Amino acid sequence: MRPKHKILVIDDEEVVLDSCTQVLSAGDCHVATAPNGTDGLKLVETFEPELVFIDLKMQGLSGFEVLERLRTNHPEIEAIVITGYATVSSAIEAMKKGAFDFLPKPFTPEELRLITRRALEHRELARQAAALRREKEMLRENFAAIVSHELKSPLGAIQQNLYALIDELGDKLSDEQKDRLVRLKKRVDDLLNLIHSWLRVFSVDLSKLKENFRPLELATVVARAVDIAHQHAIRKSVEIEVAIPGDLPMVSGDEGSLTEVLVNLLNNAVKYSFANSKVTVRAGTQDGEVFLSVIDTGVGIAKEDLEHLFQDFGRGRKQPEGAEGCGLGLAISKRIVEVHGGSIEVQSEPGKGSAFTVRLPVARADMDVVTNPSTGSQT
Amino acid sequence: MNQTKKLLIIDDDPDFVAGMKSILVKANYEVDVAYNPKDGLQALQTKPYDLLLLDIMMGRGAEGIMIARKLGKDPKLRNLPVLIITGIREQMAFLFPGQAVHPHFVAVDELVEKPVEPKLLLEKVEALLKTAEARKGQSK
Repeated sequence: MRPKHKILVIDDEEVVLDSCTQVLSAGDCHVATAPNGTDGLKLVETFEPELVFIDLKMQGLSGFEVLERLRTNHPEIEAIVITGYATVSSAIEAMKKGAFDFLPKPFTPEELRLITRRALEHRELARQAAALRREKEMLRENFAAIVSHELKSPLGAIQQNLYALIDELGDKLSDEQKDRLVRLKKRVDDLLNLIHSWLRVFSVDLSKLKENFRPLELATVVARAVDIAHQHAIRKSVEIEVAIPGDLPMVSGDEGSLTEVLVNLLNNAVKYSFANSKVTVRAGTQDGEVFLSVIDTGVGIAKEDLEHLFQDFGRGRKQPEGAEGCGLGLAISKRIVEVHGGSIEVQSEPGKGSAFTVRLPVARADMDVVTNPSTGSQT
Repeated sequence: MNQTKKLLIIDDDPDFVAGMKSILVKANYEVDVAYNPKDGLQALQTKPYDLLLLDIMMGRGAEGIMIARKLGKDPKLRNLPVLIITGIREQMAFLFPGQAVHPHFVAVDELVEKPVEPKLLLEKVEALLKTAEARKGQSK
């Protein structure tokens, strides 16, 4: 059996308190009463009612004040105002202040029961809605963990066994069969990378990167990134040329994520390059900022695609043969660069190639403050 | 170095374990498996192992981390090299595969991400065994 509903009635007329108690106690309610606002608010703390009736016209603390304090301190408690010499305007005023409804005096027992039931139902619905909201919020927050475990674990297990099988069956399978296994492995890899990208976009708080900021030589970052993108470039016979002046000022940032940005840009440049062409990485300073450009002479980007380029899932329409991708690399790169207080832009001409330029603030001599105040608030 | 090395895998995903174990067995390691932290800890107490492969995210939480912490506090097991395997890349944000990550739960450990390429797995295992061996030699 569910516990009785707890209802508090605050009114300075004893006859109202008595009749309310009588009517509601006959149902499944437990009723407490208070003759004035001050006592009523005290009773709210100890009695913990679900619903409070408040007389608007009382000696001492007015009904409006009681209502306001109740809404502030206990938004989960429903309030109904009792209006004496009923003016509709004061009732409406009370409802604006958060009362659920108003009950004009004099009222019949049936009216009291009906309004009580409606208020309790309303409270229950509000409670359920809040619970659902909380659940939704938790789901969003835990999305990363859920997805990574529920999707990545089985894929990881599949992939691990493909690795092992390819290794073990090396001398038993025909080349065609081996090729199929390798292609399977590649597909699973793509899937894992896709999940990883989603997680990065939807749930990783990039602003946390700021905690790891330290002075960096961009040349180091470029060297690491070129090293990683190199494999990809060799396969397409694309040469990566690096031209960075030795006196380039340091920037303040997170080495891993900046490397990731550059790897993204380099991989893109290689992907959209023609075979036997060249991708150039150039760096320098301009207007107090360090810039880093990745320039290719590949297919280029159509004008109408340029504006969507840095959006989630935005890919240019012109896809060269064999260019896979989910269109999140640039979106992630942009976010990473912005967390660094910098910007990223692109210039491109279809058929001639593209140039992506990252601009980053120069690291200050005292490395205590690491963000650029002019653009630091962007996320 | 000729003696067969004994490895223990603690991981609650039998399919993943199968894919990893066969690579290690083919490379002539002797491999035991525990599919939950309790069995894992018991195995470590009862049999001497040369290396532990530990899944860090088992079951509902980071039970693997608990094991790693326990090992770190155990004077007997503190020097057991541990290859920590994680399926959660977010925890090692912005790291690139193959790069050495030392969580420092125990004296000799390293972290790799699931799934692990056979070559990388064998390299890491070998390197950890070697490092642990060298440390042992020093302390004697």
